[in-house]
Amino acid sequence: MAQILKKAGTSPAEAIPPQPSYRRPWWSATAAAVLTLVLGGSVLGVQLESTGITTTVRLMGMETWGWLLAAALAVFLHQLIRPQVEDWRARTRKPSRFTLPKIFSGQKRQLWIMLAIGALLIFPFMSNRSAVDLATLTLIYIMLGLGLNVVVGLAGLLDLGYVGFYAVGAYTYALLNSYLGFSFWEALPLAGLMTALFGYLLGFPVLRLRGDYLAIVTLGFGEIIRILLNNWTELTGGPNGIARIPKPTFFDLEFTRKAQEGNVPFHEYFGIAYDPSYKIIYLYLLALILVLITLFVIYRLLRMPIGRAWEALREDDIACRSLGMNPTGIKLSAFTIGASFAGFAGAFFAARQGFISPESFTFIESAIILAIVVLGGMGSQLGVILAAIAMTLLPELAREFNEYRMLLFGLMMVLMMVWRPQGLVPLKRPHMELDRG
Amino acid sequence: MEEILYFLQQVINGLTIGSTYALIAIGYTMVYGIIGMINFAHGEIYMIGTYVTFIVISALGMLGIANPFFLMGAALLVAVLVSCAYGFAVERVAYRPVRGSKRLIALISAIGMSIFLQNYMRLAQGSRDMAISSLIPGGWEFGIESFAVNLSYMQVIIFGVTLGCMLLLSTFISRSRLGRACRACSQDAGMARLLGINTDMIISMTFVIGAALAAVAGLLLGMYYGVVNPYIGFLAGLKAFTAAVLGGIGSIPGAMLGGLLLGVAEALTGGYLSTEYKDVVAFGLLILILLFRPSGILGKPEVEKI
Amino acid sequence: MMRRSLLVLGIAAAISTQAQADITIAMAGPVTGPVAQYGDMQFTGAEMAIERINAAGGVNGEMLKGVKYDDACDPKQAVAVANQIVNDGVQYVVGHLCSSATQPASDIYAEEGVMMITAASTSPTITEQGYELVFRTIGLDSLQGPVAGRYIANTIQPKHMAIIHDKQQYGEGIATGVRETVKEAGIDVVLFEGITAGDKDFSALISKLKKENVDFVYYGGYHPELGLLLRQSRELGFDAPFMGPEGVGNPDISKIAGQASEGLYVTLPPAFENDPKNADLVEAFKAKQQDPSGPFVMPAYTAVELIADGIKGADSTDPEDVAEYLKANSFDTPIGKVEYDEKGDLKDFSFVVYNWHADGTKSEAAQ
Repeated sequence: MAQILKKAGTSPAEAIPPQPSYRRPWWSATAAAVLTLVLGGSVLGVQLESTGITTTVRLMGMETWGWLLAAALAVFLHQLIRPQVEDWRARTRKPSRFTLPKIFSGQKRQLWIMLAIGALLIFPFMSNRSAVDLATLTLIYIMLGLGLNVVVGLAGLLDLGYVGFYAVGAYTYALLNSYLGFSFWEALPLAGLMTALFGYLLGFPVLRLRGDYLAIVTLGFGEIIRILLNNWTELTGGPNGIARIPKPTFFDLEFTRKAQEGNVPFHEYFGIAYDPSYKIIYLYLLALILVLITLFVIYRLLRMPIGRAWEALREDDIACRSLGMNPTGIKLSAFTIGASFAGFAGAFFAARQGFISPESFTFIESAIILAIVVLGGMGSQLGVILAAIAMTLLPELAREFNEYRMLLFGLMMVLMMVWRPQGLVPLKRPHMELDRG
Repeated sequence: MEEILYFLQQVINGLTIGSTYALIAIGYTMVYGIIGMINFAHGEIYMIGTYVTFIVISALGMLGIANPFFLMGAALLVAVLVSCAYGFAVERVAYRPVRGSKRLIALISAIGMSIFLQNYMRLAQGSRDMAISSLIPGGWEFGIESFAVNLSYMQVIIFGVTLGCMLLLSTFISRSRLGRACRACSQDAGMARLLGINTDMIISMTFVIGAALAAVAGLLLGMYYGVVNPYIGFLAGLKAFTAAVLGGIGSIPGAMLGGLLLGVAEALTGGYLSTEYKDVVAFGLLILILLFRPSGILGKPEVEKI
Repeated sequence: MMRRSLLVLGIAAAISTQAQADITIAMAGPVTGPVAQYGDMQFTGAEMAIERINAAGGVNGEMLKGVKYDDACDPKQAVAVANQIVNDGVQYVVGHLCSSATQPASDIYAEEGVMMITAASTSPTITEQGYELVFRTIGLDSLQGPVAGRYIANTIQPKHMAIIHDKQQYGEGIATGVRETVKEAGIDVVLFEGITAGDKDFSALISKLKKENVDFVYYGGYHPELGLLLRQSRELGFDAPFMGPEGVGNPDISKIAGQASEGLYVTLPPAFENDPKNADLVEAFKAKQQDPSGPFVMPAYTAVELIADGIKGADSTDPEDVAEYLKANSFDTPIGKVEYDEKGDLKDFSFVVYNWHADGTKSEAAQ
């Protein structure tokens, strides 16, 4: 009895694509409309409320129910005409595919990249403090997105606990600084190494497992890291976090108004007036440089055998093995490299915040980074950058959006997978195709 | 004597928590067994089931109905109905369109659905904790003067219902026509379709049954703990999944065994070590089992065919 | 060079406009997010104060202007908000709400010479950094702990007491305070343990409490977990009384725990809205159909009033002068007499021990 449901071989889900059937449009349209009413009415149409110490139920007003009825009607009509629409679309379908504007490819590419970097370098001097700070935050997310992209987009391993590595990076810097007095520059490479080590140690056992298990184990790992940081009060300060993490220095020059003993602050050394925005600008420039390095490293890796191997493995595990590649080793390398980028981003985040606590490293953060990678088109660097910008700027531009942010992220992940799994800006690489005409 | 009773009490506590995990885990394991995919939104369906239970019980309470069995029956009926609708819709929207594509794509779609449902409920019902009073209070007490073991009626009900669900489902899968169709789909869906089985229908049915089980869990746990908020599905889903993997995902008795083991492990950690490390032990157990026996306790090693 | 001269121009423009313009007070807290309801309390109080001060002629002839900034109680957004506030040239901040948001933001304010009064953050570490411009109008966790601890030691005198907390900054902070106080009084703390916030099943812990013959439990944390803890305790036959901080003193606890919440001890700030001195103010809130009883409404009101009093008293809008004046004087405010110590904490913020009742009401506990 134990094996009643045991499945064998490849996933049957992969084996059969679903088949559409529209034999009875009236019936299915009515069913869909009723379903919509049940789904919406049961939770949107009535609401639990507390009045004093009792829980009561409030029937929502005509407005809500009106909308629900309208939604049901819309679903009904949609279902009714769907066969015709799909039929029409199938007949008139053109092989149209969104491609990037020519700007991003071709001969002028390098020129454009140079111009973009130049503009980014000048940006902080032309802008105000809070815009620069926001840009720094965006850059941190770009770094995280790029790192996770290596794991999810390129190697095809779903990592739901990426925030765990981010936390390890942040705490590495914070702890090294508060206990041993390490500076940002001394701690940064160590943070990268430390997270790479964590990635290696975690990846080593779990990468032999299939994708779904990996997702859950990494999710559990992210939670364990957070719980440990929260519980180990003697070392990490527990929920109180670690405060007063110093900002990076410029060749040992500090950006504070008054430097610590035996040190000269940046502005005195250069004989200019103190301006608090120097610090913000410096942080931004550092983040920019880190992102550029990350971009370059991944760009090079992709063109090396290892990068090719990641993608090959993502496409077909078994074919890779039969070609003599070692899947675990290749996966491990992607996992470790991806983790180390989170470590750098984490150390940087700690420096920007000046204060970290386990609260900043919850699962939601992992979900946001994953959403960035998914929206950007798994595998595409440019896509990740654009997605990260959109994700951090949207809540700032429209505060109301903040309330609906996670709802839309979730919806977007589903819709992207259904309609455009290759993302908004899919990865394009030099390749040849056989002409099958 | 006191030590033994204390141990017994912790085991009872663990079995109760474990049954709740098992009840949710059965839904996971069934969907996995048939289509080989983790239904990440399962925990959220459980959460929705709990909300519907609360809405029904509070609404009937406002009408002055106080008979606990009637309340339970009505809540069960509505919660199962609504949850089934959600299970069906979730499969249609998020899983069916990506069924032919790669595993990673289906996984991300499933996670997206889970995040969506959680926030949808948060916006619809608010993030505040909602509570109902216990319908069936009380229980048995036995033991010596210095320590008495308590066993509440709800604990017994939860354990019994979980066991019943497991037996019923196992029988359904192994004896009925539809169950046979399920097994056929799970072994070779393409072949099953050639033999005239409506695979789409079978997969839909799997999700609906899974959702119904989640609703039962939502009802029982909602009544046992008496509290609901939009976030309960996440942790419950995670724990239930751990239980399913522990027992061998795809195996229904395995889900039960895994759930009970996990529950007892947690209770003993809380009872003898510290409550703080309960979750660490749960996830540590998951990682260990995956390391040494990836197919779980009652699962058979997977052979990958090309 | 170009930039430098632009900067100078900008500063000049800023200074010249500031001389005539209003005094802006930034109200920083969650407008969105899961704890937005607490943010509302703070905004309600601060806005009322601004309105009333302006109606009475403003501060030294200048009007106050309140601007809301949303940090969603997220540390990362709090830093962005703090930078925004500095960027906008605001010199006074009422906020932030959550301690984990207040902490990183206060670093930035302290460096940029912005004065911050938080009406809600109770973590002791915020004022331990030695910042001159950081104040609060609410009692610290470390004040509340000893109040509860003394009450336990003097009035309840348990034999085997247990302290449980939710491992969060607020809960663990208070629980630690209670432990230290009762230990000094020679009370035996047999168990000091954390639970996970959001957890639902505490049966293992309760059985442990039962086995250790615990006769009194202090819980540091918020109402959802304590509600469940109480409810399950009574079901499992564990009848010892419980006590909690203000975070549990919310009618919701009676909703969750039902009859089990009867007799719970809670330390709460005195109900400012019942103080006859504040009758006038309470009327003003009621006239606008706002609820003055939220725990952060009066402290936020007081924060704005203190800024206004400080500017008047110091006859300067420079935050450093104002801070000096606030530390040197005492003020009569809706939350009682306010005096500051060197760190910017209230010298005296009283907490009262209440008995909670199953119908969601409370009465002062017998001493």
